[in-house]
Amino acid sequence: MAHVSIPSYWKTLPQRYCLIGMKCKNCGTINFPAREICISCKQKSEFEPKKLSGRGKIYSYTIIAAGSAPPEFSEQERLAGSFPVAIVELEEGLRIVAQITDYEEEDLKIEAEVESVFRKLYEEDKIIRYGLKFRPVKKRKPLP
Amino acid sequence: MSIGILGYGVYIPRYRINRAEYIKAWGQFAAAGVEEKAVLGFDEDSITMSVEASRNALNHAEVDASKLNAVYFASTSSPYAEKLVSSTIAMAVGASPRVSVADFTSSTMAGTSALLMGLDFVASGRGHFALITASDCPYADPGEFIEHPFGAGAAAFVVGEGAPIATIENSDSTTIEALGERFRKYEEKSIETLGIPSYTEAVIMKTVTSSVKALIDKTGRKPSDFNFVVLPQFDGRMPSTIARMNGFEETQFTPSMIVSQVGDAGAASPLIGLAKVLDEAKPGNRVLVASYGAGAGSDAVSINVNEEIMKRKGAVPSVKDYLADKKYIDYIYYLKIKKMI
Repeated sequence: MAHVSIPSYWKTLPQRYCLIGMKCKNCGTINFPAREICISCKQKSEFEPKKLSGRGKIYSYTIIAAGSAPPEFSEQERLAGSFPVAIVELEEGLRIVAQITDYEEEDLKIEAEVESVFRKLYEEDKIIRYGLKFRPVKKRKPLP
Repeated sequence: MSIGILGYGVYIPRYRINRAEYIKAWGQFAAAGVEEKAVLGFDEDSITMSVEASRNALNHAEVDASKLNAVYFASTSSPYAEKLVSSTIAMAVGASPRVSVADFTSSTMAGTSALLMGLDFVASGRGHFALITASDCPYADPGEFIEHPFGAGAAAFVVGEGAPIATIENSDSTTIEALGERFRKYEEKSIETLGIPSYTEAVIMKTVTSSVKALIDKTGRKPSDFNFVVLPQFDGRMPSTIARMNGFEETQFTPSMIVSQVGDAGAASPLIGLAKVLDEAKPGNRVLVASYGAGAGSDAVSINVNEEIMKRKGAVPSVKDYLADKKYIDYIYYLKIKKMI
């Protein structure tokens, strides 16, 4: 990830806070994040907001270890240690990239069930950037 | 259709630090009756805790967030001294932009203040549904004993029109001007106390006893009429002292106790205590909740549990579910993730 200015962050808050995707009215594909041209039918289509459930599975993951974190996450890496970033396949079928939080080593498995949680992502220019991460679904009942 | 509590939910972070870790570091743990306390993860704060508690409450109430007319947030540890944070919560839970928001801050009484204001908002006919969330993670310098009991947690309630699981019957409040028991100056980060325990205890007892007695008189009940009482629990000893002075038995307040596992969760404590009691309550039960905020004030609230509660049991994670999911950390890691070193 690179620097995202506050105005552009602000424009994308529905996707960042609430996992709102844009459903193509032409072919029905959910675009996340929103795009001008649908990723599937490649048409300049009309879109409608679609709230995603936040439930999914780990499709793949990697560990961001010492020294390899992007600058906005370097404080997290320094204080909390290395952290996993996953490609999560949502139950609606699309794949998104996000951090995994509140995990144990054994939770990091391809196909492991995860659910979205609202967390602090990083702080830049004193502004706290909130957004979604995923955590393993386990002992605790999943949110309905 | 009547007006009342339609649903509730909580959130308690999964990290815990126990008494033994503090004793290793400091030779003592200055938090009577606290065995362990909940600690925020690196990526959590009072807002993120509120969002999860609020989502649970909305699911429990089966109220769609887009129907909310008010979102109230209560905390002594808002990440911003200026900037609305109820707006962040409103957006994160999916409320419409047409909601009345308010941040209730600077007192551990803020949770019950917000709950009563939310109820008034709906009862006055200005809106149909209000979400009230209290979330707190009080902070003090690690070298101060006052820091020892400080934990973290959140609760949320949806009040509105429908088939309430519980009805807020009445409330009474007391305020007494008091100085120096627990405070944080505008320019300071750390909560302080002048450290005169006998004085602090006297002010708390006087304020809380007054609001509780006034409510009991007003409702024409006896202390024994309440199946559960939720009393201020800044440490594990306080509820029994308050109970003794007000004619309550141990069996009435024990089910509400969270401080032994969560620590002092500030403005959220009375509402997490209420949630824990509602997890166990049966139709027809009566609950009394008393809050306390230094400076000083106390709200006492009387709540009747309705038949509807049975239909919603187990719909969302309970206080016990969150208490059971935990991971212990050591004192050095605690200081690190709290950015104390």
